[in-house]
Formats: sequence, C-alpha cells, structure tokens
Amino acid sequence: MNFEFSDDEQQLSEAVQRWVERGYGFERRSAIAKAGGFSAEAWGEIAELGLLGLGTSEEDGGMAMGPVAAMLALEALGRGLVLEPVAAVALVAASVIAQAPADVRARWAPAIASGEARVVLAWQERAARYRLERVDTQAMAKDQSWTLSGTKSLVTIGDQADAFVVSARVSGAADDPAGIALFLVERQAPGVKTQGYALQDGSRAAEVTLADTPATLLVAAGPAFGALELAADTGIAALAAEAVGAMDKLFELTVDYMNTRKQFGVPIGTFQALRHRIADMKMQLELARSMSYYATLKLGDAPDVRRRAVAQAKVQLGQSARFVGQQAIQLHGGIGMTEEYIGSHYFKRLTTMEMQFGDTMHHIGEVSARMLDTAGVFA
Amino acid sequence: MDLDFTPEQQAFRADIRAWVAANLPEDIAYKVHNGLRQSRDDMQRWAKILGAKGWLGYGWPKEFGGPGWDAIERHLFEEECALAGAPRIVPFGPVMVAPVIMAFGSPEQQKRFLPGIASGEVWWSQGYSEPGSGSDLASVKTRAIRQGDKYIVNGQKTWTTLGQYGEWIFCLVRTSTEGKPQTGISFLLIDMKSPGVTVRPIVLMDGEAEVNEVFFDNVEVPVENLVGQENMGWTYAKYLLAHERTNIADVNRAKRELERLKRLAKAEGVWDDQRFRDQIALLEVDIVALEMMVLRVLSAQAGGKKALDIAGLLKIRGSEIQQRYTELLMLAGGPFSLPYIFDAMEAGWQGDYVGGPQYAPLAPNYFNTRKTTIYGGSNEVQRNIVAQTILGV
Repeated sequence: MNFEFSDDEQQLSEAVQRWVERGYGFERRSAIAKAGGFSAEAWGEIAELGLLGLGTSEEDGGMAMGPVAAMLALEALGRGLVLEPVAAVALVAASVIAQAPADVRARWAPAIASGEARVVLAWQERAARYRLERVDTQAMAKDQSWTLSGTKSLVTIGDQADAFVVSARVSGAADDPAGIALFLVERQAPGVKTQGYALQDGSRAAEVTLADTPATLLVAAGPAFGALELAADTGIAALAAEAVGAMDKLFELTVDYMNTRKQFGVPIGTFQALRHRIADMKMQLELARSMSYYATLKLGDAPDVRRRAVAQAKVQLGQSARFVGQQAIQLHGGIGMTEEYIGSHYFKRLTTMEMQFGDTMHHIGEVSARMLDTAGVFA
Repeated sequence: MDLDFTPEQQAFRADIRAWVAANLPEDIAYKVHNGLRQSRDDMQRWAKILGAKGWLGYGWPKEFGGPGWDAIERHLFEEECALAGAPRIVPFGPVMVAPVIMAFGSPEQQKRFLPGIASGEVWWSQGYSEPGSGSDLASVKTRAIRQGDKYIVNGQKTWTTLGQYGEWIFCLVRTSTEGKPQTGISFLLIDMKSPGVTVRPIVLMDGEAEVNEVFFDNVEVPVENLVGQENMGWTYAKYLLAHERTNIADVNRAKRELERLKRLAKAEGVWDDQRFRDQIALLEVDIVALEMMVLRVLSAQAGGKKALDIAGLLKIRGSEIQQRYTELLMLAGGPFSLPYIFDAMEAGWQGDYVGGPQYAPLAPNYFNTRKTTIYGGSNEVQRNIVAQTILGV
C-alpha cells in the first residue's frame, strides 16, 4: 500500500507542468482552438517531452514508464486544458498497436512514440452510442487482403491523423463482440474521406468514411474485442487523470476568486453558503482523484476486475466533473459565463470528458451488471 | 504507487481473521449482522475478550500496554472485526479518554485508570454536549468550583451515549469565566457513582434509550481527577477529537452492510429491478471511492507523512454513506419495513413477526442513523472546518 510517486514519475510530472505553464498559456490555447483545435507545432513540443512514447515499450522505440507515470502526465496536461490528444494516440491507439503482428508493430509503434505518426482509435458509430460491440462497419477479405466500408464518428483529430485503428465487423450480428476485428487504415488510403469539426471543448474530431478501403489486420476477431475493451479502459483511466487535473486547476481558480471578489464590502469567501460549496467541491475533487488512482492501478488486472474498476471510476469521475464544473461556474457568477474567462473552458472540457467512452448513466449500468456479492477495494 | 498489502500485512490480516473467527461469540455476531439490539452485556463481553488479548486499546502504543500497531495494521484489525460482525468498540474509554490520559494525565492517573480501560472492566462515558452547547462546544456551562482539595460540580450534560451504563465520565467543565470561552474549560474525570449524579435516559425516535441526560448537583470531585492543568481542557478536547477521527469513516462496516443490502435485495426480488439495482451500484461506487480515500490517508500516516488535507472529508462522506445504506436496506424491505414491533428487535424473540424477522430493525436502523451527520461535530461544522483550511480564512 503506497501512494507515493517515484522520483522518475515526479520528474516527468514536473516537466509536463513546466511546459504547460510556460508553453501552453490560455492565449495560445485559444488561438489553437480558433484555428481548428490541433497544433502540429504543439504536437512536436509534446513529442520532445517524450509523452508520445508513454504507452510504447522501449523495445518498440517508446519510453513506457508505467500507468502511474502516464496518469501524472495526463493530470498535468488536464490542468493546462491541452487540446492535443496525447492519450488518444500515445496510450489508446498504442495499446492496440502493441498487440499487432511484429511487422505492423515495427512500422507504427516507433512512429507513434516519436511523434512521426498520429494514430487514433476510430470506434464510434452512429448507432453505437457508448457500446463498443455495436459495429456496422464491414470488413471484407479478398486474396489475403482486407477492405473496409463504413462510417466512424467523432474520431479524435480525424482529419489530422495519419492512420486509424478501426473496429470492423467480419461476421455476426450488429452487436456481436466475437465478430469484430481491429484494423489499421491509413488516412491517405483509397476510399477514405474525412470531415473535420470542433467539439464543444474546442478539441478536434472528424467523421471518417471508408469505401472499399484497404486495411491491415491488427488483431483478429475473437481476441480483438478484448483489445478494444482494453483500449477503451486505457482511455477512461487517462480521461480520469486529465479530468482530475482540470478539476484541480478549476478548484484553485475558484478558491482564488472567492478570496478576491468582494460583494457587500467583503470577500465572497466569507459567506457560509459559498464556503460549504467549496468544501463540497473539494470532496468531489478528492473522490475523483481517489478513483483516478484506482482505475490506473487496476489497469493491469484481469479483464473483468479491470472493467468493473474502470466503470466505477468513470461513474465517480462523471459525477465529480459535473459537480465541480457547475459549482465553479456558479461561484464565479457572471464572469464564469463568459467566453473570455478560462473557467468556462474548464467547464466545457469537463462536460466533454464526461461524455467520452461512456457517460455516467452508461457506466452505472456497467457497474450494476458487474456487481459481485462482496464490495470494496479489498473485498 | 501500488495497492498491495505487504506479505507481512497479509499475514497480519490472516492472524487477526483467524483470531476473530475463533473468539467472537456467534450470538453477538448474529445480532450485528442483522441489525438487532445489542445489550450492555453483548458490548462488554466483546470488550473483555479483546481486553484479555490486549487488543481493546488496539490504537495504544506499546509503552501503555497496547500492541503498537501502525495505521495500516489498525485499519486491517478494524476491517477484520467489522466484516466478521463484531460490535463496534464502545469508544469512550479506549479510543477517547485513554489517549488524553496518556498524553496529559499524571503517572498516578495513568496507573489508576488505564488498566480498567484496557481490560474493558470499566465503562466510560463522554460528558461534552450540554443543552446549550452542541456544535458550539466551547460554550459549556457546567461549573466546577474549587474548594480545597475538591471541585464542586453543578450543571447538566446531554446526549451522553450509553451513559446509563457508565461508571466514569470525562467532562468538559467551566473553571473560569474570564477571557475567551475556550480558555476557561477544564478536563475532569468524574465517578458516576458520586452523590449528586443523576442519569436520565432519552428515548430516540427508533424507540431506544441510546443517549442520556446527566445531571450534576453539588457533586464533589477530588482535584487529583483533573487531567493536566486547570483551564487547559479545550486543548485536550481538540487532541481527543484528532484521535477520534482515525476510524471515523467506518468504511469497513459500510462494506459489510453493502453485502447485507445485496443479500436482502436478492431475497426481495429488487436485485433484478434496474431502478433499485442502479441505486446499489451508486452506493458501491461511493464506498469504493471512500475506501480509496481512507487508504490514501492511512498510507500517509503509516509513512509518517503529514496528515493529508483530506482527512477532514472522511467524517462527512462516511456518515452520509452510513445514512444511505440504512435507507436502502429499509427500502429493500419495502412495505414489510413498516410494522413496528419493539420486541422483534431482540434476537430470538418468539412472537409473531409480520413478514419475517429480517424486517423489524430496518426502519429503526434508518431512523437511528440520522444521528451520524449530527454527532461528532455536525457535517455543517465539518464543512466550515474544511472551508477554513481551503480558503485560509
């Protein structure tokens, strides 16, 4: 039982914090958001920090330091509201690439780690809502090679990515997990169309349409669904960490505001109704932090244990993110409503994160379905 | 960072588990697992069994005869006791007054009082709250006026939990009306058999006389029963509160009660009702999150680190969760939670149950648990304290 960070982990965290504070201020972020939500220049800086290798083993050209290091890095990125999707590429997509055949791995893993190739998971479909197993995109095999057809939605930096990890159906009904395989599709491949757009938090996504597009098999039907679940759980643990960073910073901003803003001749932080709210925000922040730790520490467990833990964490994260976000806006009053104040951007970011990889209601269902007779961290 | 207990800690847990299994009387565990009424004898029997093993003062250092366990070991002990269905240790002696006597009492007081607390022989009560002093504890009015080698005590304490069994009571009394309210308070140990002490039970809404009023009418207390210095009682009281906090979240009991809730929900058929099941799922998330928060605090304590700034949150969250599981247990019972049969709270009652014996305690337990957000510093006072730490003013 130990909640301390190693020196290496601490140093990584501090390095990312330094970059965020000096290199990724609100003005730069706003400019990036206005220009579409992704900056290749910032991506290069992130690559230099080594963050894109966090989910790739050393032998594959990465610098994986384990899930705790990744968590700390993401917390720091969350504090800075960084738009560039480090986790989506370096952890989520990389977790699938790590399970691909050796030649595919050799081509893509080092490229992800160096920042040369931006690879992202494309799983969301129009009919899927938050169900990973609902896949209509079809995979066809012909002469030892595969082609894919279908549309993936809300693909992270879809029009700025070099390649996609795509879930596609090789057999079975529309929600049969056993008939899903994972493929790699290059954006420049024939039949790929992308339509980019901004999300509510200023980050970038795209619709990706595939029409008889050549694809490389990453993980075959059968094991593929487990790999997809692991990718999603990795994404949720990363979201939890990022959200904790964002909540932490938003909480600090709110405390500062309460101590400086005066009404009726006194700082508003002297009013008990508001003091109780900030205490409740602290509660939700720390519960979320506790569950972010929990999700990260359970990522290496057996799939059923991991899925349950991650779903529990996402429920807490969603509840906390909504509470902290809403209360922060309320405590800021009118200024919290404005576009020019950074607080509103934290709120939108937290709202977005709640709705990625399954919202709170979805994960209550997951926890519900996975409950055992016992309960607790140590049951 | 890792979530694993060391092999030594796992062995420690296994030893505790085996010992509790061998020594916890079955009839007592049955009552605890089913929310039934516990008698004075039940509570004291278990206290004496622990006392004989040297574990009633499980938080005590070795120099005072305790096991000298660290924060993690104490937690494992609490968890094994709770999951096995042991009654909660009545805290007033071993958890509350003993640490104060150790820290501020004279060697004579330590020799005189600690053995009876450690063995479970002497039942202690807490004399803090008064009719006019609830959250505002520093306003206590019970007067102790020194006359020669005695204090003459006059006044009234209230909400004295299980005070009807008390043999000794530690009290905050006013020895000075000068200066700030906090500066005139002393910490006095009073023999409840002294002439002039009257105990009157207060029946709570669950029908049980769990708390009492204690009246002091010209009670003579020898000055050697003053702990530490006169007028320094507030400092000692705050020290005591810090000690009381360690297991305040009571997450282990919450885990046990969640298991009970799942059993009841299955028996009642609401486990398959998605609306009900989701409420259990939400409670499960709350309990895991609380347990993780407790483990963070314990790990910092065991590592000799400064207390995390989240320790103050544990009482708030723990008490809310206690209220929630008693509420869901009652709701799982459905309409059969409604019949009020006072005698059916007694284990082995042979009368006519309505529906079955499992229902009788569900609503009274829920009613009783409303106290948790009120006692030990109401949750609103706790929020004030948390906010003060956050805002710095």
